[in-house]
Amino acid sequence: MFSRVRSAVASLVGGFMAGSSSSGERASGADLPMKFPYERPVFLGLSQDEVECSADHAARPILILKETKRLPWATGYAEVINAGKSAVNEDQACCEFMVVKKRPTGSFTPCKPSKRRSSLPNGEGHNLSESSMENAELVFHYWALFDGHAGSGAAIMASRLLQQHIVEQLQEIVDILQNPALLPPTVMGDDLDHTSTPCMPRALTRASSLRNSPCTAAPRFFTEKKIQHESLVIGALENAFKYMDAQIERERVVYNITGGCTALVVVFFLGKLYVANAGDSRAIIIKNGEIIPMSAEFTPESERQRLQFLGYMQPHLLGGEFTHLEFPRRVQRKEVGKKMLYRDFTMSGWAYKTIEDEDLRFPLIYGEGKKARVLATIGVTRGLGDHDLKVHDSNIYIKPFLSCFPEVRIYNLIQHEHGTDDVLVMGTDGLWDVLSNEEVTEYVTSFLANCNPDDLNRYTMAAQDVVMRARGTLRDRGWRITDDRLGSGDDISVYIIPLMYGNRQS
Amino acid sequence: MAYAYLFKYIIIGDTGVGKSCLLLQFTDKRFQPVHDLTIGVEFGARMITIDGKQIKLQIWDTAGQESFRSITRSYYRGAAGALLVYDITRRDTFNHLTTWLEDARQHSNSNMVIMLIGNKSDLESRREVKKEEGEAFAREHGLIFMETSAKTASNVEEAFINTAKEIYEKIQEGVFDINNEANGIKIGPQHAATNSTLAGGQGGQQAGGGCC
Ligand SMILES: Nc1nc2c(ncn2[C@@H]2O[C@H](COP(=O)(O)OP(=O)(O)OP(=O)(O)O)[C@@H](O)[C@H]2O)c(=O)[nH]1
Ligand SMILES: [Mg+2]
Repeated sequence: MFSRVRSAVASLVGGFMAGSSSSGERASGADLPMKFPYERPVFLGLSQDEVECSADHAARPILILKETKRLPWATGYAEVINAGKSAVNEDQACCEFMVVKKRPTGSFTPCKPSKRRSSLPNGEGHNLSESSMENAELVFHYWALFDGHAGSGAAIMASRLLQQHIVEQLQEIVDILQNPALLPPTVMGDDLDHTSTPCMPRALTRASSLRNSPCTAAPRFFTEKKIQHESLVIGALENAFKYMDAQIERERVVYNITGGCTALVVVFFLGKLYVANAGDSRAIIIKNGEIIPMSAEFTPESERQRLQFLGYMQPHLLGGEFTHLEFPRRVQRKEVGKKMLYRDFTMSGWAYKTIEDEDLRFPLIYGEGKKARVLATIGVTRGLGDHDLKVHDSNIYIKPFLSCFPEVRIYNLIQHEHGTDDVLVMGTDGLWDVLSNEEVTEYVTSFLANCNPDDLNRYTMAAQDVVMRARGTLRDRGWRITDDRLGSGDDISVYIIPLMYGNRQS
Repeated sequence: MAYAYLFKYIIIGDTGVGKSCLLLQFTDKRFQPVHDLTIGVEFGARMITIDGKQIKLQIWDTAGQESFRSITRSYYRGAAGALLVYDITRRDTFNHLTTWLEDARQHSNSNMVIMLIGNKSDLESRREVKKEEGEAFAREHGLIFMETSAKTASNVEEAFINTAKEIYEKIQEGVFDINNEANGIKIGPQHAATNSTLAGGQGGQQAGGGCC
């Protein structure tokens, strides 16, 4: 993702990527120990020699899952390094099967009164007879892609640890999630007897709540918002991203954690797929050849209004060098006093305003499409890390404008039947920059249709095929794909996840 | 580990001729009796000594199956040596050599050293291609030639090492421009102190530095 933090205006940007002292009072971090050494995704199981071979910018070998290695659900995976814009592949990936155990009683959690635990044995006994799940234990499948920029440190760290943060968040709510028949209690511990008696008739439930309530007269049940279980999972994912980002911020003081990264996470949990996206990677579901988008990209253009509003509310973040307003092009001094097209955070359309001196400042958001930049520096507006990123040769931090929060979309997997060719495709922007959803769908669908349906490698071969089609072949004038279009010179990583296994599992 | 030179090799030829087995025998001294179809590219590496110099071979084992041909073709680039393999017990794999050779010549650099290998020499009773035929083909196209057995390890070392010797000689003769990595040759770190990317562990520090 190196190019995404390259400047639209050369004079404004440059040095920060080298972690050079020119852009900060804090030590560059280069002298600190690595948190994790550079490597390719753990599940590829590559030796140091293989990692070296893979970093060939001229031949750009497509790495795939080895025949001997398997990912859950026969998931396919392929990746390729960039065409030379950064020494290493800055994409990272992680795929794991996670177990969420209820937190051991020893650990102290402020929001859980001890009273709660004394009632647990009943609840657990009940759960055991009700479902196959054991002692407050839930499981989920996890697939993730991270696209690093300005260094690979943040992406590697997130690829190792984000799933742990998700587990930690879910641990808090294991009991609640195990009782789908009962809405989550508004106050933890309050309606606790419910967990042990999920089938209790409504009248009784209410009565017991009334009994426990400090204010029996208030009809709080009728005005309270009903929070669904899946909202709790969304909240857990969102907070996991937040804590991951906070951990990077904390530990960058003691470790060399370079750059930032986008994060696209898919979690299969209790029969549903949760797709959490912070950045410009993308996930789509292909079902019967139909495309269901499962994420939206967060870019300076798609988040313009949020960013402009922030610049408007907190002008000091712009350091006196940028204007939060958008103009179709840079304003010139001789145009002061004239009326020019502009738009503010309150607008999606355009209007005219009289140009003032302040409008001569560099626009907060500048450039179009893939070249659009925030503060002339970064082309993606959500993700993890980047705490030290500054506008070149200035003291203006980029991080306040970046959000670590993902947008989470849900696909109720087990409510649909899935054939062998129904898949979820996850890819970093290296894929989607050059191929449309429709093209990817066509390639994947026709590739899978020509495969032996019993071949467990078919999804990996399909992933290799789309990566190849996005990379293209090296001709006289660079990497080229179909119709002599330009191939992607970026790192490209792709998962192809067959959905039928989700049906089988449930 | 320190090396004077690094050579990139590519192994090509029809499916089932024993490419992956040759690599495995060379790097791990093992034989794999069941056919694990290669579906992309796999890598191997080993250090050898030529003329008292440590040379690291970086070997790309490609997929021979027709459906992967376009992917395989894209890996010829930047190879200093190629092992073009056929199976002496299957004449069709010998007949396809011309196609492979055309592919290789078209997609690689012109100085690439090509070693023609007739594999499975242990299966004498099932031989369909005479040794003389292999020799003749090699002579005609300017290749080096050997018969090997990935099973018994016969001539496997020699095949890889003789290819390296040929490349090494070409370097001595000044045929290869060793400063152009597109030729599949890199100079080791102690020979070019400034060239840090060859040092092996490509750490994140380097990543932070970018390269362009
Ligand atoms: N007897 C004998 N069998 C061999 C020899 N080399 C390979 N084989 C067998 O031939 C089969 C194919 O070998 P591989 O090395 O997998 O073939 P490949 O050329 O890599 O094939 P693709 O990956 O499909 O391109 C395997 O069953 C091997 O055990 C050999 O020297 N002697
Ligand atoms: Mg093979």
